[in-house]
Amino acid sequence: MNADTAAVDAVAVREDQLKLGLWMFLATVTMLFAAFTSAYIVRRSGSDWRHVALPSILWLNSLVLAASSVAVEIANVRGTRTAWRSSAAAMVMAFALGIVFLAGQVVAWRQMVSAGVYLPTSPHSSFFFMLTGAHAVHVIAALAVLGWGAVATLSGARDPRAWTSRMSLCRTFWHYLGGVWLFLFALVSLY
Amino acid sequence: MEPPAPPPPPERPAHEDTRGFVRRYIFSTDHKIIGIQYIITGLLMALVGATLATLIRLQLGWPDHAWPLLEKLLPGGYQGGVMLPEFYLAVVTMHGTIMVFFFISYVLVSGFGNYLVPLQVGATDMAFPFLNMLSYWIAFLSAAVLIFSFFVAGGAAAAGWTAYPPLSAIAAAVPGSQMGQSLWLLSMALFIASFTMSGLNIVATVLSVRAPGLSMMRLPLTVWSYFIASILGLLAFPPLTAAAVMLLFDRHLGTSFFLPSGLVVANKVLTNTGGSPLLWQHLFWFLGHPEVYVLILPALGIACDIIPAFTRKPVYGYRMSVYCLWAVGALSMIVWGHHMFVSGMSPFTGEYFSLVTLTITVPMTIFGVNMLASLWGAKLELRSPMLFVCGVIALFGSGGLGGLFLGNATADMQLHDTYFVVGHFHMMIGGVTLLATFAAIYFWFPKMFGRTMNETLGKAHFWLTFAPFFTIFFMQHFLGIQGAPRRYYAFTAYDYLQKTRGQNLVISLSAFLLVSSQFIFIVNFVWSLVRGRVAEANPWRATTLEWTVPSPPPHGNFETVPTVERWAYEYGVRAPGGDFATQDVPAAAVPVTA
Repeated sequence: MNADTAAVDAVAVREDQLKLGLWMFLATVTMLFAAFTSAYIVRRSGSDWRHVALPSILWLNSLVLAASSVAVEIANVRGTRTAWRSSAAAMVMAFALGIVFLAGQVVAWRQMVSAGVYLPTSPHSSFFFMLTGAHAVHVIAALAVLGWGAVATLSGARDPRAWTSRMSLCRTFWHYLGGVWLFLFALVSLY
Repeated sequence: MEPPAPPPPPERPAHEDTRGFVRRYIFSTDHKIIGIQYIITGLLMALVGATLATLIRLQLGWPDHAWPLLEKLLPGGYQGGVMLPEFYLAVVTMHGTIMVFFFISYVLVSGFGNYLVPLQVGATDMAFPFLNMLSYWIAFLSAAVLIFSFFVAGGAAAAGWTAYPPLSAIAAAVPGSQMGQSLWLLSMALFIASFTMSGLNIVATVLSVRAPGLSMMRLPLTVWSYFIASILGLLAFPPLTAAAVMLLFDRHLGTSFFLPSGLVVANKVLTNTGGSPLLWQHLFWFLGHPEVYVLILPALGIACDIIPAFTRKPVYGYRMSVYCLWAVGALSMIVWGHHMFVSGMSPFTGEYFSLVTLTITVPMTIFGVNMLASLWGAKLELRSPMLFVCGVIALFGSGGLGGLFLGNATADMQLHDTYFVVGHFHMMIGGVTLLATFAAIYFWFPKMFGRTMNETLGKAHFWLTFAPFFTIFFMQHFLGIQGAPRRYYAFTAYDYLQKTRGQNLVISLSAFLLVSSQFIFIVNFVWSLVRGRVAEANPWRATTLEWTVPSPPPHGNFETVPTVERWAYEYGVRAPGGDFATQDVPAAAVPVTA
């Protein structure tokens, strides 16, 4: 085995490790939200359960997050075709939309508070604030990963293979959190 | 005349560690150093846990006696030389928490897991070395927060290691439910974060950086046990994080996740409504029961790897043991309700939890029989590690027997919250894991430090540990059958428990013998570090990959990546070096048996 082959193999192993690590991390996050969900279902059977009105901005926030996911995909497609400028622009857009989503969630919280709905107002509001908060913490972590991918793209992806690997991690993490949000939004809105 | 040329600088070995002291020994990313850091931290925490156990046994052995000296040492916990009941609760809580999470988890799981897994899979380090370092320092912080909680207003948490609300949720319920309980929750959250990082690392290491030729079915059982335990940890621990967040919200932000309506504390009706204390129990035990297996599986894996070195024959039923580990791991995720039989659950639910709990005894029994069969017909060499492994098997069998009663809902109704439970779990997650920890330390000490521990002191340590340990917890089963409830501070207030005074005295005396005998271990450990006989690379003539490198192994572990040619138990063969072949011995040199 020559030195180049060994280096390529080492990179491949590293990519596999990072993918594996991310999926295992996502498994633990899934279990965390599964626990919150089961607590929600149990607590919902309490006699004091009162559904509070949720702000309509949550719909807009959902669209923003979905648009962010689309932007990540566009960045990936453009990068694969070595159109680095448009790929970088899409990544920056995805990152910015992620920030807008978080800002929108804060606006939703403020609207709830303005309407007199606080954390302890009802079990439903308690879960709303807690679940959206827990999700936001994970979004902040995912934004850091997205930023890591954006930096690679902005630098013109000097190492296309490493870029593909980074993008794969970014896409998985970001779309996963988009999926979690849709699930949580459906849970607190419909059930 | 020209001066002679200066001698060439000595060549550095390929894997010489050139980092400075701080990067090498404190903020190290080397899995071996991190493993040793975990082990040392865990052993120090064990000293705290053992001291707390001594205080518990002083109270229960001599319930009416005054201890003026202890009042001087612990003025917040004693009055008139007599222990305060709320202090007793804090001591019991912290003893359990420290021993389960900060001793056994740190030493046996994270410590030996870190040290052994990369070496046994032929890797240079963990898959994520930086994450590994981070996990240790978060673990250290977690332990520091817990110790700090002894010194805050109200003292340490006092709601039991299970932290059941409402006791744990209301600051006015007991002094320990003030800041101490919040710090307990913070400490647990840090612990879970650290343990998750560590588990993720172990799984990634086993799956991604095994040496060429090391298929999964050639892995030593130690690696298998850490692999499965880590998966369990990754899946089972997050729900407690969720529960801890909700409990913190209940405690500080006025929510009612766990606090029911109409609760009266300190003559005041609380404003909380509709919460469910049982919800906490479900979330806690969803973690709590798999946690038992997270601790016990590595103990069993380690025992299986030590046995053949002293029987000089392969372990019995390797494949079946692997399947059993998987079965136990899977079943452990769906049995948590057996901790809650008396919570008013539906009899049908109870029936389900009874059935799956008793089902878990099938793979566990097969594993136990495989360990016994591994001894069968062998000429046992009873060195210190092997003695401790024999202790593991003895406690696994006798402690496991108690599980049959507790897994059965009908019997558990009678035995729940009695000393029968205390005796059972101390034999299993206390004893099996403690003895396996000592077995591991005696066995791998030469590899870790390049010196061998003293054999005479090791044997004395075993007998003076095993005998009192068995006495204490075997007797506690009978206390439980007599109806003695656990966590009772003044059991003599009840007439029917007066007759148990004598038994409690014997248990306390045995406990002091047990704690005292650990000084033999400490002396042996420290003395051997400095003056122990220098160890060769493979002092036990064992077969796994860590024994193919020098003792202690160099930074990066292997000069060249080993190629594995055989399974981990090639004993009883004719080989140039004796009756064994390490996993990297070429098949052409020694025939491969598996």
